[in-house]
Amino acid sequence: MREYLKEYFDFKTLLICLALVGIGLLSVYSATYDVGAAASFERQVIWTGVGVLALLVAAYFPLRALQRIAIPMYVVTITVLLVVLVIGKTISGSKSWLGVAGLGGQPSEFAKVATALALAAFLARTTTSLSNPKHLLIAIGIVLTPMILVVAEPDLGTAVVFFAMMLPILYWAGASNFVLAAILAPIIAAIGALLGTLTFLVTLLIGAALLYFTRENRFAAAVAFALTLAVGLTVQSAYERLQPYQQKRISTFLSPDLDPKGAGYNVLQSKVAIGSGGFFGKGYLQGTQTQLNFIPEQWTDFIFCVPGEEFGFLGASVIVLLFTALLLRGIKIASLSSNKFGSAAAIGIVAMFAVHVLINIGMSMGLTPVIGIPLPFLSYGGSAMVANMAAVGLLMNFYAHRKEH
Amino acid sequence: MTGDEQFGSAQRRRVLTIVVLLIFGVLMLRLYELQLLYHGEMNKKSEENSVRAIVQDPIRGYMFDRTGRLVVDVGPSYAITLVPVDFDMKNLDLLASLVEMDPEALRDRIARARAYSPFLPTRIKRDVDIQTLAAIEEHLTSLRGISYQVESKRVYRTKAHASHLLGYRREISDAQLSQAGDEYRQGDLVGVAGLEARYEPLLRGEKGYEFVSVNSKGQIIGSFEDGKKNVAAKEGEDLILSTDFGLQAYAESLMTSHRGAIVALDPSDGGILALVSKPDYDPSIMSGVTPLDLWSELQTDTSKPLFNRATLTRYPPGSTFKMVLAAAALQEGIVDENFRIHCTGGFRYGNRLFSDLHVHGSVNIVEAIQKSCNVFFWQLMLKVGLEKWTEYGKRFGFGQLTGTDTGDETAGLLPSDAYYDARYGKGKWTQGYILSLAIGQGELGVSPLQMARYAAALGNGGIVYQPHAVEFIHDKSTDKMQRVHYDSSLVGLSPDVMALIREGMRRVVEEPGGTAPLARIPGIVSAGKTGTADNPHGEAHAWYIGFAPFDHPKIAIAVLLENSGYGGSKSAPIARLVMERYLFGGPAPRHPKPALAVTAAAKTISQTVHQRP
Repeated sequence: MREYLKEYFDFKTLLICLALVGIGLLSVYSATYDVGAAASFERQVIWTGVGVLALLVAAYFPLRALQRIAIPMYVVTITVLLVVLVIGKTISGSKSWLGVAGLGGQPSEFAKVATALALAAFLARTTTSLSNPKHLLIAIGIVLTPMILVVAEPDLGTAVVFFAMMLPILYWAGASNFVLAAILAPIIAAIGALLGTLTFLVTLLIGAALLYFTRENRFAAAVAFALTLAVGLTVQSAYERLQPYQQKRISTFLSPDLDPKGAGYNVLQSKVAIGSGGFFGKGYLQGTQTQLNFIPEQWTDFIFCVPGEEFGFLGASVIVLLFTALLLRGIKIASLSSNKFGSAAAIGIVAMFAVHVLINIGMSMGLTPVIGIPLPFLSYGGSAMVANMAAVGLLMNFYAHRKEH
Repeated sequence: MTGDEQFGSAQRRRVLTIVVLLIFGVLMLRLYELQLLYHGEMNKKSEENSVRAIVQDPIRGYMFDRTGRLVVDVGPSYAITLVPVDFDMKNLDLLASLVEMDPEALRDRIARARAYSPFLPTRIKRDVDIQTLAAIEEHLTSLRGISYQVESKRVYRTKAHASHLLGYRREISDAQLSQAGDEYRQGDLVGVAGLEARYEPLLRGEKGYEFVSVNSKGQIIGSFEDGKKNVAAKEGEDLILSTDFGLQAYAESLMTSHRGAIVALDPSDGGILALVSKPDYDPSIMSGVTPLDLWSELQTDTSKPLFNRATLTRYPPGSTFKMVLAAAALQEGIVDENFRIHCTGGFRYGNRLFSDLHVHGSVNIVEAIQKSCNVFFWQLMLKVGLEKWTEYGKRFGFGQLTGTDTGDETAGLLPSDAYYDARYGKGKWTQGYILSLAIGQGELGVSPLQMARYAAALGNGGIVYQPHAVEFIHDKSTDKMQRVHYDSSLVGLSPDVMALIREGMRRVVEEPGGTAPLARIPGIVSAGKTGTADNPHGEAHAWYIGFAPFDHPKIAIAVLLENSGYGGSKSAPIARLVMERYLFGGPAPRHPKPALAVTAAAKTISQTVHQRP
């Protein structure tokens, strides 16, 4: 029995996940119990329960079947995202929210996992070769489709996650450096174009350098550079045609310091909260920044301030360590996995978690732009909790079936 | 081409692992930076965020008179406060009408407060009456950011005004505020005249701070760390004055129809028994916030009620100054009591005739003082010379500040060789110029306070004291009663010389032929000297200085009546009444002098203070 468990049950991943969930519940409680949002904590506990179920289902779902339904599941997800866009226009409030008979959720949270699975399933096909441009375009398309739908919601943060997931999976699946550079260069140029002509020129140069050093043949490199230039110029001219308020939304997204009363305020208060925690923290439920509600809606995107302030450097580093351990564990599972589907999907999940952790904790500490994405297992939110627990379940599943082809 | 063979290669695993470790490193580095490196700074910001200090104004120090009676007290006053960040400017007009302020003035006030700090309550109107307070209370719910606080204002428990002695406070100016530290904030009153100004740093006490936690909207959530860090306000220190407020009130009543000043000193230490300057004002109108119209009325009044005539006027002393010349002549051995002059009622110097009103016949120096014989002193001046005269004038404290604690004062003007050289040029002035100085006229200028000190020095045998109102300072936090030390100097006259001069002054009052029979106090021997200061602009100013009782004087006095004629007829009777009242009708004797007994008295005073509700 013990032998069996050791062979087929991934305790390490589960324990890391449960530790993070525990810290998350403590943090959500601290952030909500005194500000008339105590019901949030109870709901979060319920969602955690649902999440555990999702984890178990994902962990024990037959791998072959999963691989087979990955593409159909993806198609369903895309359809739901489309539905959200349509209904989101008639329902006020968050356009990423889908509600049916009192139950609701954010399909984009599940779309991330579904997309990772679909891309993995596509790459795992014996006929697929990334050196085939057609296959490469399909692979990119699998990610870009939900990404564009999410951008339209608009949920730029989640869109960034989709994009950031794509590169590691392709890289893992054997895409050449030139392919990666050809994907990266237009994106860098587009961001540069939004920030002004000078940065546009700088990013063009960076893109050109990337393409030059990874080039496989001159023609492909030239085409990729032309694409980069075209994307940059298009973005630039499109930006100029936007209404001023739309421009402001984009510029605030890229540099929140421009909006000190909005996103900039949150970052400042969040930095103060974390910094004032010191080494040992102010003690559980004792953080003044947290308890006095200095960070609006802290239980969602800025949840990291709570352990940062109340548990200090000690607690915050434990969280960062746990996440790092989870990511390394995911990479290890991907390496151990003999089947390509599990391996690539594991990398996709690792990439998803990595982007969330880097951007979320980074923005809490003023390192990265304020992009509204939650911190896995800690932030309040049912869909994310269930989707992330399911993702952990998948990692455990891949571990259990690592030796199957 | 690369492809499947690269799938999940060890090299690619390494790269991804490195990327994850990089993410880990960046986050840990930033955590280290924020939580350990910048912890202090961030912690300070966090406290500033969530902790606000509410200022607790200390109770201003009290003032007790020489009998230990509380004369300057503190009472409640209500101030309407406003927190700029909470106040909705749409309510400006409503608020303005409630507090009866001009809306524009109120807007300006709020703007200035906002510039100072948008989160701290500022006092928009102080010392409001009960009706205004009630109206504000009614609207408290609709006027967010508005509140009121109880503060203190001066309450005077004496019939005397003593306005120039006690002084007053005004709202601190922006200029003062920018120089001040934590001890002041906008809207605070600060002493600007009299004892209130001189003792401002002690009287004001130290502000207290109550620390409260606020949420992100600035609303108070509760006390910060259970009030462990609160700082209690330190009450201002009390002043125990040498002044006798019964005497002060009486002296003021004698001056109601006059312009001028009375200064009465304790000849034994220079303590001010009474200091009257008329016209004056009722200090209770300036006890809280002085309305602007009242303030401008006081300032533009042609009779200058704010002007302290007791310390700031500079009139010639007239004949009251003759003792300076007599002292110089006798002490320098230029003449003695046997030196006589035949007074014919006039004196010719060069081709100029100096004439006197009276013919005194043969007079020696004692009789010359008694009868105020000008002819004698003109001649004496020529023998003594300006240099010696100036020196003895200085010894009696003229031409210099007295160092009083009662506010601004003038040094007056004591002419000297240097003065005339500067004014007319070296060698371009003659002895004729200085003859008028002999009888206290001309450029000579003195203040009533200087004259009282001079009278006290003549009374106590030659000690010139620094005149002062504050005798003791009582620090209630340590219950320490501290005596204030003052300077004194000796005139340096031999007992014989002093005796001759004092005899002349005694005769002025007590003997037939003296110029001040109206200063005579029944049953007590006193001494004095009259003076009439020439005034080119109108009626002469009437002076009288004196002390009583003659042998061991308890009071020395200077009385100046502007434009009133002769000192003997106008000022002497007032001086007499004041001295009489002090010697016979005065209240209980002052607290005993030995240090131990003083501490006992201090305790009594401090107990009275602490028992006050």
